[in-house]
Amino acid sequence: MRPARLFLESPHFLTLLLLLAVAWSVTNLDWGGPILHTNGWQSALTLLLAGFMPDLSPSFLLVCLRASWQTLAIALTSMTIAVLIGLPLGILASGGLATTDSRFQMPVKVGARFILGALRSIHELVWAVLLVAAIGLSPLAAIIALGLPYAGILGRIYAEFLEDVQGEPLDALRSSGASTVQTLMYGRLPMCLPDLISYTFYRFECSIRSAAILSFVGIRGIGYEIQISLGDLLFGQVWTLLFVLLALVALVDFWSGRVRHSLLTS
Amino acid sequence: MTEPDQQGQTIRGARRTPTFARLSLYIFAGLLVVAWAYIFGAGDSGFTDLFRSRTWDNAGSFLARMAGLGMEDTPAFLQPEQWWITGALAYETLAMSVLAIGIAGAGAFVTFMFGARTISNGDLGGRPSRVGTALYYVLRIFYAFTRAVPELVWALLIVFFLSPGILPGAVALGIHNLGIVGRLAAEVVEDMDPAPARALRSSGASIFQVFLYAALPQTLPHFITYLLYRWEVVIRTTVVVGFVSAGGLGQEFRLSLSFFHYDQVTLIILWYLTLVLGVDFLSAWLRKMARFD
Repeated sequence: MRPARLFLESPHFLTLLLLLAVAWSVTNLDWGGPILHTNGWQSALTLLLAGFMPDLSPSFLLVCLRASWQTLAIALTSMTIAVLIGLPLGILASGGLATTDSRFQMPVKVGARFILGALRSIHELVWAVLLVAAIGLSPLAAIIALGLPYAGILGRIYAEFLEDVQGEPLDALRSSGASTVQTLMYGRLPMCLPDLISYTFYRFECSIRSAAILSFVGIRGIGYEIQISLGDLLFGQVWTLLFVLLALVALVDFWSGRVRHSLLTS
Repeated sequence: MTEPDQQGQTIRGARRTPTFARLSLYIFAGLLVVAWAYIFGAGDSGFTDLFRSRTWDNAGSFLARMAGLGMEDTPAFLQPEQWWITGALAYETLAMSVLAIGIAGAGAFVTFMFGARTISNGDLGGRPSRVGTALYYVLRIFYAFTRAVPELVWALLIVFFLSPGILPGAVALGIHNLGIVGRLAAEVVEDMDPAPARALRSSGASIFQVFLYAALPQTLPHFITYLLYRWEVVIRTTVVVGFVSAGGLGQEFRLSLSFFHYDQVTLIILWYLTLVLGVDFLSAWLRKMARFD
């Protein structure tokens, strides 16, 4: 017999709570005005139908290709920044550098975790807007803006992987007198390297989508072109760009999936 | 993952062929170098700006104005009534995020069964039908498409026909997350214990009865957990979607930036962080409840 749970703790209460929350959010809508614009259905239909007539002219495909590379370049370079910031912070957050009896272990661990948390609390586009206001509009601002929240995510997951490493190799290293740094370099890091690389590849995939929308602060790339085409009401071009983004993400998805598979099964 | 050791090479006489993962790493490293070269090569990368004192003066004055230094009136974040005004926008943003999750949840809830391969090919009992198979592919492509298009792009498209406010933002976030949650839920159905569904099916239950009595009890906890996880991501994105959909904190954020009201920006970010932390906490607490045992 399972012990009886209170209704307040039961999942049915949770379901009820969530439904109520959604009902509350609906009451916040502005019911006074029209929901659609005048001719809203017309616009929606035009937009949707354009999906069957994407702009496939060679000159525009060239634009797409250039935009894809620009987006890919931003994603790649920002991943460099993310790993360079995320890995050291992740190591600190895992407590991997401190000896167990060190007085500094807790403050360093908590501090690193706090920084990682702060980095990933703020969306990359908010970082981008702030950085552009602070240091001006440039690819570097975009790369840093994307790198910071990704460093926060990578660092946290790296810390979890590093903490989860256990087993005989570590014990062997420790009992033969290896220092904490040596345990880290010859034990913890190599043992979870496949996991680290695999997760980084997964995030690389996400960073392409993020790099595409980063264009909205004015960085060139797929999002930038989408914005221009939308402004000119060239919906066919918008759809071409969407399909290109889809293909790019699918390609990297496929590649990263294969890499992760071969890393984690071998 | 280890380098081929010296001994191994001399014994075998040849270098070990690189595995697929190793080759991929080399390609990735190559791409990295090309990408950095491109960023520095193609015009003004902004890197040289970092060594100009003017950039740092600008950044310094930006931060000072965000901190409300050297202003004539009290900074916005020290005025209680400003907290209330921005708080109302934060409330709107919260409603937007909940509505987005509601839309994603409702959309995924009615479709995920048919997006599961085990349903369409008859693994869970019943006969495979052409309609079921077609539905499976259509739904999977739909999920893939909705989640591959970023929320912000959805928002840009949707403001073309929906009136500004929190609804277009919520719909944009909802559609994107529908793809994510729908796929995850469909995969849970594919991985679930097939016995109950088969037993129901063989005793004459309809597909809706299978959904109600076999699929739902097994998938609902996962489904709700995913929705709560996505809520944490959605609340971070609401501000960004608000840039274009004109609802909640996002719009105010954009306006304050363009009017150079940087003290207002600080206040908005403080509310934003409050929302993010609050939702993270709430979602973790609710997820503990989602154990349907």
